[in-house]
Amino acid sequence: MALRPGYFLHCALRNMRQSPVLSLAAVVTVTLALSLLALFAIAVLNVQQLLLVWGDESAVVAYFAVEPTAKQQQELLAGIGARPGVAGVDYVSSTAARERFRERLGVDADLLDGLDPDLLPASLEIRLQPDGTAALHLDNLVETLRKDARFDDVRHGREWLAKLEAFLQLLRAIGAGLGGFLAFAAVIIVANTIKLTLYARQDELEAMTLVGATSLFIKLPYLVEGAVQGLLGGLLALLASFLAFHIGLRDSLGELLLVTGVDSIAYLPPAWQVGMVAAGGAIGLLGSLFALRKFVRFGPA
Amino acid sequence: MIRLYNVSKAYPGDQQALDDISLIIDKGEFVYLTGPSGAGKSTLLKLLYCAERPSRGQILINGRNITRFGATRIPHLRRSLGIVFQDFKLLVRRTVFENVAFPLDVQGRRRTDVNKRVYQCLKQVGLEQRLQHYPLQLSGGEQQRVAVARALVVDPLILLADEPTGNLDPRVTLDIMELFKSANARGTTVVMATHDQNLIRQFPKRVITLEAGRLAADRAV
Repeated sequence: MALRPGYFLHCALRNMRQSPVLSLAAVVTVTLALSLLALFAIAVLNVQQLLLVWGDESAVVAYFAVEPTAKQQQELLAGIGARPGVAGVDYVSSTAARERFRERLGVDADLLDGLDPDLLPASLEIRLQPDGTAALHLDNLVETLRKDARFDDVRHGREWLAKLEAFLQLLRAIGAGLGGFLAFAAVIIVANTIKLTLYARQDELEAMTLVGATSLFIKLPYLVEGAVQGLLGGLLALLASFLAFHIGLRDSLGELLLVTGVDSIAYLPPAWQVGMVAAGGAIGLLGSLFALRKFVRFGPA
Repeated sequence: MIRLYNVSKAYPGDQQALDDISLIIDKGEFVYLTGPSGAGKSTLLKLLYCAERPSRGQILINGRNITRFGATRIPHLRRSLGIVFQDFKLLVRRTVFENVAFPLDVQGRRRTDVNKRVYQCLKQVGLEQRLQHYPLQLSGGEQQRVAVARALVVDPLILLADEPTGNLDPRVTLDIMELFKSANARGTTVVMATHDQNLIRQFPKRVITLEAGRLAADRAV
């Protein structure tokens, strides 16, 4: 049998035209499931980005009680920079800290107007070696800095990173659980859509077998139909999540992550977008496969 | 062409549909299967197109024992057959053209060949003006002519017809019989189940009579 893809696509589209309500139900379900997944993916992606930013940024910040002299700065920079596990040390003056905060506030920067110019203390930002050796010396470094009377406070991001990592895991788990459930529901709905079509066309299927159609020849249009419904659902979900991102999600996520150092909120990267549409196709195909199991019979029972 | 050896068919509950049937139908023959309702005519045809499997005995078509055919070989057998039913069994959501083209699509024929062959066939049955109509827009006689065109479009070795004129008026019945006769004249073996004795008298051919599942008579003309 020579298989003509165009023929099966034509049959699939005709089936969809002839059962518009059922087809629409399947497409909408796939769209809803994948849209929700996409929104979770955007949130996870950006929180993940935040982790990377924080991971790259200074791991330990020591705030001065009083702004040090230039000589004191040099001594501290040299002394701490030479400690094991330290990749580098930067001095951030009170003015520089204020400017940096002003930049991060963006359009809300005028909140700082009228406040004490020395509101934010000068600090040392200590970057740690990224190879893991820093972890061995971190407690010792923090302890030493805390004992030093020149410093008012010492913060390090390990606890925060651990908390954020846990939050990210939770977000991923919720996304996977909810997305998996919705994807499963979408598979079942697509399967039932195709099943209802098949029940309505039992006589037609029988007639097809009587003129020599093989099982594959009869099933292919329904498989293509499921895949087309899934792909359409995937495309619509992509469009819906894109619109949601540009209409509200970007701004609200941006405000949420405003003071965290993430410069811009990202939409799904191209590979994820392609993956989402492909996932739609896979959901549809899987639904059709479920529906078509043991449906087409040829001869004697 | 068709050989049956001691073929029996029993359904669950000891219902004997066919009992020890042996017969030979040669290539190019036109044979009526006749007998009262429940005699086993339809069952015999079903055995020939593998919709049922015999309980006992062997059936050979064109030298191949179809008794043991599995699900993958049945479609290939059916492509060499043309089958016409009393209730037409057309694809109601497809046009007349698509119905007749379907057996050729199944065989993967090229679109240009399909178009040409379907048009020829529909012209032969007098429905070339009804290409784009749907079956339910046609009369019973027209629907049966579409079914005949669909059966003949593949130039079948064997045409099996199960009471094809049972629902048709006498004039349409004659049209259908003429189509069967011309297919037979082109070399197709025709096996037609009917209990219409007038028809048999009008178009005299070999008559195989079944009664209660047994071969009661085999009368050649």
